Amino acid sequence: MKKQHPIEKGNQQKKSLPSRDVFPLMSTWGGKFTDRRKTTALPKNSCPEKLKDLPFNGLMAWHGIVVRKADTDIPSLTYAYLREARKISCGECSVCMIGIDRILEIFRKFIEGDGTRRDLKTIEEIAHEVAVNGKCNFGRSAALVPVADAIRYFKNDFLALIRGDRALVNHGYESAVTAPCSEACPAGLPITAYIEKIKNFQFSESLALIRSKCILPGVVGRACTHPCEAVCVRGKVDEPLAIRLLKRAAADQDLQTGCSPLPLPRLSKKEKVCIIGAGPAGLAAAYHLRLLGYGVTIFDGLPVMGGMAAVGIPDYRLPKEVLLHETNLIKRMGVEVFLNRNIDLLKWEDLKKKGFKALFLAVGAHRGADIGLAGESELVEGFEQGIEFLRSVQDRHSDIKPRKKVFILGGGNVAVDCARSCLRLGFEHVEILYRRSRKEMPALPEEIAEAEKEGVKIRYLTSPVKVHSKWGRIEGLECVKMKLGEPDDSGRRKPIPVTGSNFVLKADMVIAATGQEINTSFLTEKDRKALTRANKIWVDPLTCRTDREGVFAGGDCVTGPATLIEALDMGNRAARSIDAHLQGKPIAAQNVYAGIDTTLQRDNGFLPTKRAVRVNLLPESDRLADFREVEPGFSQSEAMEEARRCLRCYRLMVWEVDKTKQEQPEGRSK
Amino acid sequence: MRIHIDGRTVDAREGANILTEADKLHIRIPTLCYHESLSPFGACRLCLVEIKRGRKWESTTACNTEIAPDMTVRTDSPEIRRSRKAAAELLYYKYPGTRKVRDMAEKLGVKVEKTNQDSRECILCGLCVRTCQEIVEVNALRFEDRGPDHPGEPPRIGYLGDSCICCGACAFVCPTGYIRMESVGTDRRMIWERVFEMAACRVCGKKFAPLAQLQYLSRRSDMPLSQAMTCITCREAEVQTVVVDAQDWIAMHKHNHHHQNHQKHPKQK
Repeated sequence: MKKQHPIEKGNQQKKSLPSRDVFPLMSTWGGKFTDRRKTTALPKNSCPEKLKDLPFNGLMAWHGIVVRKADTDIPSLTYAYLREARKISCGECSVCMIGIDRILEIFRKFIEGDGTRRDLKTIEEIAHEVAVNGKCNFGRSAALVPVADAIRYFKNDFLALIRGDRALVNHGYESAVTAPCSEACPAGLPITAYIEKIKNFQFSESLALIRSKCILPGVVGRACTHPCEAVCVRGKVDEPLAIRLLKRAAADQDLQTGCSPLPLPRLSKKEKVCIIGAGPAGLAAAYHLRLLGYGVTIFDGLPVMGGMAAVGIPDYRLPKEVLLHETNLIKRMGVEVFLNRNIDLLKWEDLKKKGFKALFLAVGAHRGADIGLAGESELVEGFEQGIEFLRSVQDRHSDIKPRKKVFILGGGNVAVDCARSCLRLGFEHVEILYRRSRKEMPALPEEIAEAEKEGVKIRYLTSPVKVHSKWGRIEGLECVKMKLGEPDDSGRRKPIPVTGSNFVLKADMVIAATGQEINTSFLTEKDRKALTRANKIWVDPLTCRTDREGVFAGGDCVTGPATLIEALDMGNRAARSIDAHLQGKPIAAQNVYAGIDTTLQRDNGFLPTKRAVRVNLLPESDRLADFREVEPGFSQSEAMEEARRCLRCYRLMVWEVDKTKQEQPEGRSK
Repeated sequence: MRIHIDGRTVDAREGANILTEADKLHIRIPTLCYHESLSPFGACRLCLVEIKRGRKWESTTACNTEIAPDMTVRTDSPEIRRSRKAAAELLYYKYPGTRKVRDMAEKLGVKVEKTNQDSRECILCGLCVRTCQEIVEVNALRFEDRGPDHPGEPPRIGYLGDSCICCGACAFVCPTGYIRMESVGTDRRMIWERVFEMAACRVCGKKFAPLAQLQYLSRRSDMPLSQAMTCITCREAEVQTVVVDAQDWIAMHKHNHHHQNHQKHPKQK
């Protein structure tokens, strides 16, 4: 492997193109130059395998250059990349934006034919200075990194440009911007962009950006599982940004002032869409469809809007006035909502006759799943399903009589929610039984920690086997000790019962919070056959279409119990898909970054540390009397201070489109 | 905690930054965006220093790098000088007509053309924004047009006239003279191209401060607006009267009831 491979105009076509498709032909990904034009012994993984799906000739990205065709015009690609990079560079520090400006000026000199060899040296110097001295990760690891690669490994192309042997040509470019946090977010929220707005004291503008992908920002800002924070690059320096709380800060401003109403549809379309279920998925679809001008009608069996957000998340995590405010905003756009309408039997033909052109099923998964416990199916007083218990806490928590000893089965967020609710209802002894260990527990670690602080006991490696009852009333729970075996399909170690370790716990109440399933009894026998697979509604993952014409589905009833943000995402996508269906348009949606590790970046030296802004949780002693909110939000100035910690890990990709390929996927943002 | 700067050891308090600690040793580090009363911003990239990590020296900005126990710092090396010069060169490229930038660039070894002109450009150092948000706390200034939502538009300082109280702190702190506060006639004052009415002293009648500023002062301190509407000269005179009043309070209360009521500060009972 040679360090430099000159691409000379005359001979490149003749000898450089290999006969078979080699991908990538050349790459500088991660700073490692690989060239496969002549050799056959090839190093693997020289760029993300997924890039193969993207029809491009040459691509320039934050992490390097990838060339598929030997005649790719690198200087022109570099120029296109620089112009895109200039749009993202924020101008907060003096090197990044001005550096790009300076290099763009040099490129204009090239166009006019005034370039010199010395200019290439200047570009390399500026690229180096921006990489070592840029304020944020965009400057340090993205803005000019591939530009330096281009000059280093494709110098002869630039020399030809200076000599006037080639010119800068627009070959047709596309671009896409993302960030590791946005990639980790199921709904792909523009996180870096809305944090930027908060930093700049533009809370309403920030909220508008959030709402484009997440129509319940105050709800998600309180109850999200925040996978974005897990990948935050700042986490490697000190602590990840409090992205969830920043979203909440933007939402709370509107909650307090009411100064950011939702936009109204600009035009009205005659088609009507029917939505079953006013949960996150249904509401997200309703908002986007209404915004596009469709008539939207929602039916829901519950007395309130919000679905699982309304009846599955206790008030101390999500005060219901937040949900009410945000659902009412959607209603006020002119969405028709019919609550308390339990649908016994859904007939799509009848709805079509009523004038509905599309149907979106978002009924959620509100039924507790049986866990295969002996005595479970008998009606035993004192044995409840977690999700039904949470619902009764919402509906009438003053009616629930506290008992002495309650055991909660399961290790997820529902189990922790049930346990903490029980404490607030006055139960004396609240204990969670989980069959694996703390490490495998799927509930959020911070929720578990707060539950323990409040007084919830957790018994690990314990699994229930039988419900003991007397005269229809629960008396005890027979359990067995477990040990951990080999990892199973989920990657967690499989619990194995220890024979002969059975024991009985005296219990006044047992809550099974081990899983939920969809109640499909509202579907006709024919529909159930056509629509469901493995007791979930089956849809095409890209379009959310079911197997029946005009019927779409999304949310928990498709995925099984999942998160708020995943449901919102499906609602967003379903709305786009329903619109495409009704307008007869093709669906163009593919995230070009899917499968590419955007957390990668070249080493960027020393970054000053700054700890995250903390919020003071309500003291434990004040929590248990009622269901008041435990976590306060950021004040405006706290939010701005936290937002300033963002490292702006924008990942930019610009590629020369391969025009021979018909389909051209679109980037998430341009 | 102890840190080492250029081979000298300093005792520093936790949470301090390198720039202020170096300053204590009379090591002057160049900067255009730092102010001791404001949160560090790290915008000008001139205050570069190097920190030893393992065997490597890594560069960082002195203003926003918090010190850590036994941190070893050097403030001068060929790399630092080169990087500072490179940053100054870029600033000079962008703002060639601004004297402050020219002076700094020249000091850091950039070839600068001699001229007397001063175009007083905004160099986006953020001193005004931070002053307005952190000291005055009115949030009348903010950065705008930054990040990927404003393709093509240059970043700038946004001015929210409704929140501004015309205190002039931004003009005071601006290093280049881009922000100016000017008088308009005798009874008005202009900043950021917005004109503010000046309030008249309720005692002597002199126009002495922007009304918006007095209203803000009154709102923030629970002082009645009428109290704020006294100019500094007349307030001094008034304070003397109040002191006299306090001494002979009983006597004066008895004899001069009406006068007393008129002068009494509502909080002095």
